[in-house]
Amino acid sequence: MISLLWSITIVSLLATLIISVYGIVAKPNLVKKLIALTIFGDTANVLVVLLGYRVIYPVKPPILPELSKRALGEFVKTAVDPLPQALVITAVVIGMAVNILIAFAVIQIYRIYGTLDVREVGKTLPELLRREEA
Amino acid sequence: MIELHLTILAITALIGLIASYLAITEKDLLKAVGYSAVQAIAYAIAFYLLMAPDIVLAYVAIAVGIYSALLIFIIGKTERYEVM
Amino acid sequence: MKRLTGLLTILIITLGVAIYLAQNIIPPENLHPLGEYYLENSYFGEHSAKSPEVVTSILWDYRGVDTLFETAVFFLAIIGSLTIFRLNREQSEEAKQGEPKPQLPEPVVVVTKLTVAMILAVSASIALHGQLTPGGGFQGGSALAVAPLLVIAAYTKYALEKNGLDKTRAIIIRSIGLLGIALTALTPLLVSGYIMQNQPIFPGEALGVPLGGSLVLYNLFEYLAVGAGFTAVFLLLSIPEEKFKKFLGVRR
Repeated sequence: MISLLWSITIVSLLATLIISVYGIVAKPNLVKKLIALTIFGDTANVLVVLLGYRVIYPVKPPILPELSKRALGEFVKTAVDPLPQALVITAVVIGMAVNILIAFAVIQIYRIYGTLDVREVGKTLPELLRREEA
Repeated sequence: MIELHLTILAITALIGLIASYLAITEKDLLKAVGYSAVQAIAYAIAFYLLMAPDIVLAYVAIAVGIYSALLIFIIGKTERYEVM
Repeated sequence: MKRLTGLLTILIITLGVAIYLAQNIIPPENLHPLGEYYLENSYFGEHSAKSPEVVTSILWDYRGVDTLFETAVFFLAIIGSLTIFRLNREQSEEAKQGEPKPQLPEPVVVVTKLTVAMILAVSASIALHGQLTPGGGFQGGSALAVAPLLVIAAYTKYALEKNGLDKTRAIIIRSIGLLGIALTALTPLLVSGYIMQNQPIFPGEALGVPLGGSLVLYNLFEYLAVGAGFTAVFLLLSIPEEKFKKFLGVRR
């Protein structure tokens, strides 16, 4: 039962990764690509945190409950791995800053080309360049 | 007891899967942002169950608040419907 | 209808693969040795950060240089966004012209005021207790960035600017934060330590409260940098598109 639930979790996260890669590659709209990219990043973060989880009971967050050496042994027996969590925190916030950069670029593309469709952008670019030459 | 934790975890992962599928196939971008926020809430619960309270604090504010607001700003400045 | 069929197919395939894999997957029950080392050493050990919050001590002490460069990426991403939407002096003066008026019904606006005050208090508490309880600079900063967003939604951005929080001030606060992080990272070099050294250069506790040495300083400065960085970006984003079209002379 435990391994079934664990494998459902992992497989559905992997399926979400595949769906979001499909969204990044196949959808022509730039905002939709940004949404898919964020879902991809979030799912990857959940998978990384999953690496540090321990399927035991009771399981505790990696924060010392009291400042005495007596509690340390019990703490190490029950706490999850703190390293993936520390790496994911920076990834969440920095990923957001990078998303903001992409968002600004998307708005600027819309101002220049008047469209968010990558196929249209590809067609409009040669026209714009030719107009400048003329 | 660990079965309860893992059941809720599996359910949140499935909700995340369903919401991401709906968000990616949705034509109306505002609705897609809504589905993507549902996915973010599901993953926030998943982070809580994975015993990562630090990430929950950052993730809820970022993925449900700031990120949805950012996308609504973009959609307001560009266009709402995706044309195929 | 087509969407629902696709969704059902994906769910069935997922469950099928999960049931097939369930026979071979062994859920992890043990810690990795590195994680165990961090858990044991964070407060008591030989190489201690003097903080009971293991995640924060990894973030700003054991893996401090990693976080330092992540902060550099954050700095560059925000600078890049600000550069794309660059305005000269007259244009940014004109972008500030506007009436701060409530955009939502009266009760919503009153509740927003209370909520903003609460968010400010809670985010400061998250950031400054980062070495004791879950939280820290990144978490507090992103909670802080929600407050100006609420004000922009309830009152328009002109209300923020009339009350003194314009883009320049936000960028100055962000620069103070980043400068503080850099100086805190470089301080140990003065007393012949190495970069980002924590113990025993910074005090481990004050008045009986564990401070985690430099962790509390890093958390404070990261809180300012992240919160003000996001605020500056959202002040730029909330300039109406008509004004931008006028500045840029867009034809459409």
